[in-house]
Amino acid sequence: MVCTYYCISFSPICPYTWGRSLVNLTIDVPSINLFVMSEDDCLLKKLEISVSEAEKRTGKNAVNMQETYTSYLVETRSLEPPAEGQNSPLDALWRRYSEFELLRNYLSVSYPFVVVPPLPEKRAEFVWHKLSADNMDPDFVERRRIGLENFLVRVASHPMLCHDKIFHSFLTQESGWKEAVNEAGLQMKTDSRLKALNATFRVKNPDKRFTELKHYSDEVQSVISHLLRVRARVADRLYGVYKVHGNYGRVFSEWSAIEKEMGDGLQSAGHHMDVYAASIDDILEEEEHYADQLKEYLFYAEALRAVCRKHELMQYDLEMSALDLASKKQQSEELATGTIRTFSLKGMTSKLFGQETPEQREAKLKLLEEQIVEGEEQLKLRNVESREFVKNSWLEIERFKEQKNRDLKEALISYAVMQISMCKKGIQVWTNAKECFSKM
Amino acid sequence: MSGSSTPKSLPSSGQKSLHDIKHPLSCSPGAEEDAAGGNGVVVVDTPSPDLAHTEPSSIADKDLSLPNGTPADTSSPASSSSLLNRLQLDDDLDGETRDLFVTVDDPKKHVCTMETYITYRVMTKTTRAEFDLPEYSVRRRYQDFDWLRNKLEDTQPTHFIPPLPEKFVVKGVVDRFSEEFVETRRRALDKFLKRIADHPVLSFNEHFNVFLTAKDLNSHKKQGITLLSKMGESVRYVTSGYKLRARPMEFSAITEYLDTFALKLGTIDRIAQRIIKEEVEYLVELREYGPVYSTWSGLEEELREPLEGVSACVGNCSTALEELTEDMTEDFLPVLREYILYSESLKNVLKRRDQTQAEYEAKLDSAALKREERTGGPTDVEKCQDKVECFNADLKADMERWQNNKRQDFRQLLMGMAEKNIQYYEKCLTAWESIIPLLQDKRESK
Repeated sequence: MVCTYYCISFSPICPYTWGRSLVNLTIDVPSINLFVMSEDDCLLKKLEISVSEAEKRTGKNAVNMQETYTSYLVETRSLEPPAEGQNSPLDALWRRYSEFELLRNYLSVSYPFVVVPPLPEKRAEFVWHKLSADNMDPDFVERRRIGLENFLVRVASHPMLCHDKIFHSFLTQESGWKEAVNEAGLQMKTDSRLKALNATFRVKNPDKRFTELKHYSDEVQSVISHLLRVRARVADRLYGVYKVHGNYGRVFSEWSAIEKEMGDGLQSAGHHMDVYAASIDDILEEEEHYADQLKEYLFYAEALRAVCRKHELMQYDLEMSALDLASKKQQSEELATGTIRTFSLKGMTSKLFGQETPEQREAKLKLLEEQIVEGEEQLKLRNVESREFVKNSWLEIERFKEQKNRDLKEALISYAVMQISMCKKGIQVWTNAKECFSKM
Repeated sequence: MSGSSTPKSLPSSGQKSLHDIKHPLSCSPGAEEDAAGGNGVVVVDTPSPDLAHTEPSSIADKDLSLPNGTPADTSSPASSSSLLNRLQLDDDLDGETRDLFVTVDDPKKHVCTMETYITYRVMTKTTRAEFDLPEYSVRRRYQDFDWLRNKLEDTQPTHFIPPLPEKFVVKGVVDRFSEEFVETRRRALDKFLKRIADHPVLSFNEHFNVFLTAKDLNSHKKQGITLLSKMGESVRYVTSGYKLRARPMEFSAITEYLDTFALKLGTIDRIAQRIIKEEVEYLVELREYGPVYSTWSGLEEELREPLEGVSACVGNCSTALEELTEDMTEDFLPVLREYILYSESLKNVLKRRDQTQAEYEAKLDSAALKREERTGGPTDVEKCQDKVECFNADLKADMERWQNNKRQDFRQLLMGMAEKNIQYYEKCLTAWESIIPLLQDKRESK
């Protein structure tokens, strides 16, 4: 396995490698478990999950066209005490990014009130120019591999998502997984998702809390994307500052050749300048990790907004049912009393073609009453559904907020720690250089 | 030369200038002075070499114009005495007993009808017998320094004359009267005078004395300059393409050294400028970066303080970075420039040495041709030989001095650069370390 470095055993709280470098600086990060819900139930207690390898493949797609894609090796190992014998065997299977996408889509449709963990970006964004934006670039593939693993771990540590059957089969069943998704009727539900896009402007009584949350998601999304853009530029400039110092290395060394007393000092100071210039590569590579952490929350904002949208859709359906019921009730009243309060097509036709027979009216009234009962039933159901949704999603959002605050705080700490170590490295190199200069 | 008469006239003018300085030296007194001196003063100021050439017949000039073709004649007594001076002074310097202290400070802008310029106060403290007073304070402008430098080059052709800062700044549109530009120039001028004052020979130059003490420098400046005729002569030897028969190896080595040295310094100068440019651009991005965290903090509750903390921290780092770039611009670049110019000045001295030797060899040749008809030839040749030897001795001594100074200066300069960077990182380190508890306390209190 290639995963010597990245194969990390996960605790349910720290799915990403949050605070990896904290250890060096002996900063105590107490890992507290804020999960209220089904902590022990969590899948991660029973299963170790990792995406350990990525492989480039070429194959034929549906239209028989040659295509190149990357496959990722998903490995799982049961942590439950095996009934008999030794450790349970390692399960491994290959999945493509598009399959991860399908999984996430399925989860998002099946658990509309859940803030579904986002996938890593499809295409590299907000990277400083030294990193390639090519989808096949090894660095990109590697970062995506970590991101996909993080996604699986996030899902597996989610109190609700982790129990999903299809998720389980994604992890453990090589074939037949897609069929299971299709059986779950994803297609139908995705159609209804589309409606959600249009529902926004039609909802009459939007829930203020969700409106605010949507507003928050929008703003957080814009601020994080701004932050990521500027950070990439900051990284570019910092890279420049360090690399230009590298030129001192060469010129000091050349200069030292013509000096007598100063020669040695210059030569070794030049060496330190080389070290200084080279140190930025690691620094920025590590900083990219911080950017990935921010990116995850940039995409989380989108997931948060999706929940809001689904609530809107639900609210829309509820309002439509209520409206429908009201109009049916009015119709039946009209039929029963024979009065037409408002101008309607029915009124017009009855005027033009004469009165209906009492039998016809009876039948219509009966049908309407049936529909009203049905509608009332539906409205009740929708109300319950909606209340349920609000209750669940609010719990979920609270959970998400806590997760977010915890994660981002840790991200900020590890960022600060990175900066601290960069400063210490800088001080070290310049102190060494100063030492050399002082001997001149 | 008029050397014997000048010191006598100095005390009064020197004292006057001291009194004058007490008054606020704004533009008006300067303007009056200029007016008193007549427009001619202003005219003489600018195209001085030409004017000097057209009116070479002042009384003082006669002394100078006598040696005519042999520029070194005026300096050869000086250089022989300089050998003594050098010996004495080297001892003195070792014992850290300096007796001449010069500082340049207090730049003032003068706006007049004809022109706008800056004057600097030149303060002198000394115990030397050559000075009538222990202290002098005069005001000089750039072209006065330029005059002094020309005079020194003229009268001490065998010595390394420290460089002046460039007259015109080519790169970009630089405001000549901006505080930074004036300050940078002031420092360079200060360095220029200090280098002369510390030099065992140059510090005894009478023009230097005049420059430091004369109340009215313009009257001295008007005195004739034989620079042009001399330049004409030196050019003759160079253009003749005369090849030295026996150029001592050590001087070839020095020339070679200076070429490489100037080249490397030029590269360092470009690197340093590029770093400053990159740092300034980095600073621009940082200034945008910090506030984004602040904006974000406005959206959050629990994360508000941590995000604010990061924002403030980035702000502190920006300030530290700004200080670093300012320090590097003000302290690092000028020294590099000075040494680049210095090496040019050194190369000129080496060229003059070669010319002197060429002259000697030419005389030797012609003497060999006219061997039959012996006239005053041999003595002339001997004189030339003496001159070359004196030149060589002066040059070697100066080179040693210069190498020493250079080593000291660069040691200090580069250590300073390292120190500034250390300070920068230390400031950033403090800033980032200070926010760690801010991020942690929150968590623990939960």
